[in-house]
Amino acid sequence: MTVVSRPGRPVGRRRVGYWLTVAAIYAVTAAFLFPVFYLALTALRPPRDVFAVLSAGTRFSFRNFTDALAWEGVRIPESFVNSAVIATASTLLSLVITLPSGFMLARYRNRLARGWFFLIYVVRTIPFITWILPLFLLAQQLGLHGTYIGIVAAQAAFHVTFYSWIFKGFFEGVPRELEDAALVDGCSRWGAFLRISVPLAVPGIVAAGILGWIWGWNELLITLFMTTEDIPMYSKTISTFITEMGVEWGRMAATGIMAIVPAALVTAFCHRYVVAGLGGLHER
Amino acid sequence: MEIPRANGRGSGLDSEALDTLPAGRIGAAGVRAWVERDRAFQLQLVALSALALLVFQVLPIAHGIWISLLDFTPWHPEGDFIGLRNYGRVLANPLFYRAALPNTFLFLVLAVGLEVVCGLGIALLINRRFPGARLIRTLLLFPLLVAPVVAGLMFYWMFHSEFGFVNQLLAALGVPGVLWFNRPWTAFGIIVLADVWTWTPWFVLIIYSGLQTLPPEPFEAARLDGASAWQVFRWITVPLLYPVLSITLLIRSFDAFRVFDVVWTMTGGGPGNATETFGTFVYRLGYLTVNYSEGAAAALLGAVVIIVVGVAVYGTFARVVWGRPAGPGR
Repeated sequence: MTVVSRPGRPVGRRRVGYWLTVAAIYAVTAAFLFPVFYLALTALRPPRDVFAVLSAGTRFSFRNFTDALAWEGVRIPESFVNSAVIATASTLLSLVITLPSGFMLARYRNRLARGWFFLIYVVRTIPFITWILPLFLLAQQLGLHGTYIGIVAAQAAFHVTFYSWIFKGFFEGVPRELEDAALVDGCSRWGAFLRISVPLAVPGIVAAGILGWIWGWNELLITLFMTTEDIPMYSKTISTFITEMGVEWGRMAATGIMAIVPAALVTAFCHRYVVAGLGGLHER
Repeated sequence: MEIPRANGRGSGLDSEALDTLPAGRIGAAGVRAWVERDRAFQLQLVALSALALLVFQVLPIAHGIWISLLDFTPWHPEGDFIGLRNYGRVLANPLFYRAALPNTFLFLVLAVGLEVVCGLGIALLINRRFPGARLIRTLLLFPLLVAPVVAGLMFYWMFHSEFGFVNQLLAALGVPGVLWFNRPWTAFGIIVLADVWTWTPWFVLIIYSGLQTLPPEPFEAARLDGASAWQVFRWITVPLLYPVLSITLLIRSFDAFRVFDVVWTMTGGGPGNATETFGTFVYRLGYLTVNYSEGAAAALLGAVVIIVVGVAVYGTFARVVWGRPAGPGR
């Protein structure tokens, strides 16, 4: 592996090395994509070919998908709808409550702002397994356990620290002269925030929203604590496949592929937002 | 009537607030009114988030501390105060100190270590011009968007004892298949592998964007001096990346400590307790066997352990690498 700072296209003797490096890049990428490819191939085989995934030639069928969706007792369509609704609701809710908080952190340097930042920092380091068990007990006492409100609120609460932190960064990138101009022109503080600053931070908000949605869609532990069997969600459903009913591999693979589809679509269509979001989300 | 100064004590007023003062409203009463409204605006901005954080995280943590001091179960809901006895029970539980904690730390070291090494390698590999660069960089991020539960399903299926791709490949080579999930070390290894598959792209992304921002001068100077590729990597690239590496290592270690999804999906902590981690331990103890008080104590102990270890590791790293202690504000 040659480590040089951003070399251009090489000439002469280094040509072989260059193409070997390119081949290595493609091989690594293929290795990373192979598990998904293998799962997809399993899902697309007819059910009887599940033991011959790689050697079944051109025999393909969507039978596993239709079987999975019609699977008695597993309620896969319902669990997908529930997961989607809950991820959407919790993402929107957390955006509404954390955008102002991030804006506050970006625009103020006083004691309240520092205190809030410190509180976020401390709470963020505590693993959520520490607060999810007592939250489950509190929710039980309040009658929120096993309700949509309970799971949406718990997921949204998880986002508070993270989003406030991220939006601080996004709003610091929005020039405050524009807000000041709006204030001088008679806009209220909330008006300047909602009509000037928020629209200018939209790319960042979209990135954070997409990633928050995917996180909510994929999340398992909070789901296990906060929902009962009355609210099937796909992450719970899939995690029971292996331990309890380890025979229907074709249907399981099909369910797994259907669970990946939203993420795959998002990567394909919002690639720039996602990359910016992933980078921004974690570097701050 | 006193006009508050820019750094007025206890007023919480900052100079930036004064900078935004609309012209033509400089009277003392006007300033006071404007400042008060500004303070109200700040409180309004933070109110909903603070409420959510207090109700859903701070209050549960406080409630958890209280419950961990009781013997509270569904059969004994009034719960007598028993002091620190629950902590003693958790600490004396062999499943905690012989399985959950060592497994979690072994997992953390192996998985995060492999992820940072692979991430650095791949980031250096793609940090050049090559055909299809944009497509490859996008495809490499894909595992990051796949749920850990689905990753668990995928890897379980690939290592399935009868129909799995791996054992079929071994059979084709004439090697007898392995019961991957019936042996402690192979089961553990596959969990690490699934985590490395999921999270290496995250390191690639962050290290790659870090590489993009490095200044070109040191590399050119090294090349003029005839430094070898390894010397450039060891003495220029890696030191320049230390800030990025240390932060990503810290964040990822915190996350790896509470690994749950992938373990729960693939092994549920088995075979035996070979893959029991802190997350599965607390879930089993606190939720499945409804030992609420002990579960709460275990969860709090885990939080203390990871914070102490995280701060110690980060502090050591910062001292060794930058020669100065690190603080939260950076």
